Amino acid sequence: MRVSKLEIIDFRNIHKFEKNFEPGGAIFFGKNGTGKTNLLEAISYCAFGKSIRSASDSELINFSKAFFRISAKFSFNHLENIITAANDDHKKLIKIDGTKISKISELYQYVKVVYFSPEDINLISGGPTNRRKFIDLAISQSSYKYLEDLRLYHRILKQRNALLKSDFSRNEKISWDTKFIEIGTRIIISRKKYLKEFIPGLSEKYFFVSGKRENLDVEYKHSFPTSEFEEFSNSFANHLERIESDEMRLQRTLAGPHLDDIIFKIDNNIARNFGSQGQKRSLVITARLVQADIIKRKDSEAPILIFDDVLADLDRGRAQRIMDLLGEEHQIFIATPNIELYEKFNLERIDLENLLNEK
Amino acid sequence: MFTGLLAELEKNLKKLPGIGSKSAQRLAMFLISNHQDDALKLADSIRDAVEQYTNCSVCNILTEYEICKFCSDAHRNEQLLCIVENTQDVFLIENTQEFNGKYYVLNNLLSPIDGIGPDEISFPQLISLVKEREIEEVVLALSPSAEGESTINFLAAELTEFVQKITRLSTGLPFGGDIEYTNKLTLGNALIRRYSV
Repeated sequence: MRVSKLEIIDFRNIHKFEKNFEPGGAIFFGKNGTGKTNLLEAISYCAFGKSIRSASDSELINFSKAFFRISAKFSFNHLENIITAANDDHKKLIKIDGTKISKISELYQYVKVVYFSPEDINLISGGPTNRRKFIDLAISQSSYKYLEDLRLYHRILKQRNALLKSDFSRNEKISWDTKFIEIGTRIIISRKKYLKEFIPGLSEKYFFVSGKRENLDVEYKHSFPTSEFEEFSNSFANHLERIESDEMRLQRTLAGPHLDDIIFKIDNNIARNFGSQGQKRSLVITARLVQADIIKRKDSEAPILIFDDVLADLDRGRAQRIMDLLGEEHQIFIATPNIELYEKFNLERIDLENLLNEK
Repeated sequence: MFTGLLAELEKNLKKLPGIGSKSAQRLAMFLISNHQDDALKLADSIRDAVEQYTNCSVCNILTEYEICKFCSDAHRNEQLLCIVENTQDVFLIENTQEFNGKYYVLNNLLSPIDGIGPDEISFPQLISLVKEREIEEVVLALSPSAEGESTINFLAAELTEFVQKITRLSTGLPFGGDIEYTNKLTLGNALIRRYSV
C-alpha cells in the first residue's frame, strides 16, 4: 500500500501543498507549528474519512476559507485509486476515482493506514473507551460485517436504555434483549478472535522492545461472569436476568461489550496503574505495529505507517529497537522537529518550513 | 428570499418528504404563476383526501371508507394475516400479486426512544383480532432494522399462543438481480439462508 501523490488546499494551516512521494515514504521536519502533523492528518483523512485527532470537519478548514480539499493517489494490490476528500459548505464529500461514496467505511477497503499518534498513550493511561475504540477500529478496518454489527448494537443499546426508563411488558423486554444478546455476543466473539492473533504478536514484540526484560500479558475483561462450560450468549443472557432489577433501578444497561475492557499487564502489574511513561509509550507503539502486522497478513500487503513524533520520549534503546522492527515493506511517514532521531531511515526529507513558506 | 404568503407556502411545502428549500421555492412559484387552476384543484384534492381518509376500523389501513376494501373483500383468505408497518407497505405487497390474505397496519415500530411501546403499535386491537378470527398464519412483513427486528420478536412471542404458524419475510438476493451488483451484507445473508434445490 502506497500513497504516491498528495495535493492539499486550505486544510488546517496548509494553504497549498502538492508533492509526489517515494515508495519508502518521507520525513516531514521543521519547527513546531509548521504543519507537520497536519500533513499526516491529511493522508490519514483519506483512510478514515475523518480527522484522526477527532476534530470536526469545520475545524479542519483553513482559517477564513470556505472549504478544504485533499486529493491523494493510492496504490493497493497494484491498483491505483484517487481519493478526494472535501468539505464545502458543511458538507463532507468523499470520492473514490470520481465516484461519491455513501458510507465512510467504504474507504477501509481502499486505504489501509496505521497511525501512531501521541494521543495513543490514552490507550493505556485512559479509560476503557479508548481500548474499545482501538480494537473496534482495528477489526472494522478489515471486516464490514463487524462494523455493521457495531452500528446495530449501538442502536439497540440506545433503544434498550430508553426501554429501561419506561414502563415495559415482559415480552417487550425479551424482544429487545434477544437481538441485544445475539449481536452483543457476536461482537465479543469477533474481539476475542482478533485478540487471539493480536496478543501473541504483541507479547513477543514488546519483550524485544523492552530489551528482553519485561513480560506482557493481555486479558479481555467481560462485563459479565463467564465460564468455559457455558456459551457466551447463555452467560450473557443469564447475567442480564440476574441484574434486571438493578438495571431498572438505574435505568440503563449494565452489561455488554460496550462495557468490556482490555487489560494490559507488564510483569503482572496493570500497565495503566503501574507502567512508566516510557513503558506505556513503547507498549502502544508496539500495539500499533501488531495491528499493522495483522492487516498485512489479511491483505497480503503492508499498510502505510504514519508516525507523529511518537518516539521522542523513549530512551535510545527502546526507540532503536522499535525502529528495528519496522519492515522495509511499509511506506512510512514521520513528522518530527528532531531529524537526528531518525538518521538511520533512508527516507526523503521534506523541510516544511521552506516548502510551505515558499508559496 | 420570499416574504409574506409566499414564504408561508414555501415553509409548508418544505415539510413534505424529499422537498428542500430550492424545490419548495420552485414549486411555490410554479403554483402561483401560470397554473392557478391546477393549483386550486390540487388544493381541493389535498383537502378532500385529507378529510375523507381515515384509518380502517379493522386493520388501520388509510382508506376513504369505514372499512377498507381489503377487509371487506370476501374472496380474501381471512385466516392469513400480513402485518406491515404502514399503508404504503400494503400496496407494495399487493403489487407482488403473491398475497391473498388480509392486512394489519401497525403504523409504527417498537421504539422506546420515541416512546413507542405495544399500545402505540395498535397491539391490543391486533391481539383481539387474531383471537376472534382464529387466524392460522401471521406473516410479519417488517423491515429488518433494529426496531423492525425487535417488533418481529415481540409479536412472535405474543402471538405464538394463538396462531399456529408465524412467518417473516426472507432476506437475500433480489430476483433477476446479478450477484455482482448485490451488496455484501445482502449476499452474506443469502448465503447464510441458502436452501437445497
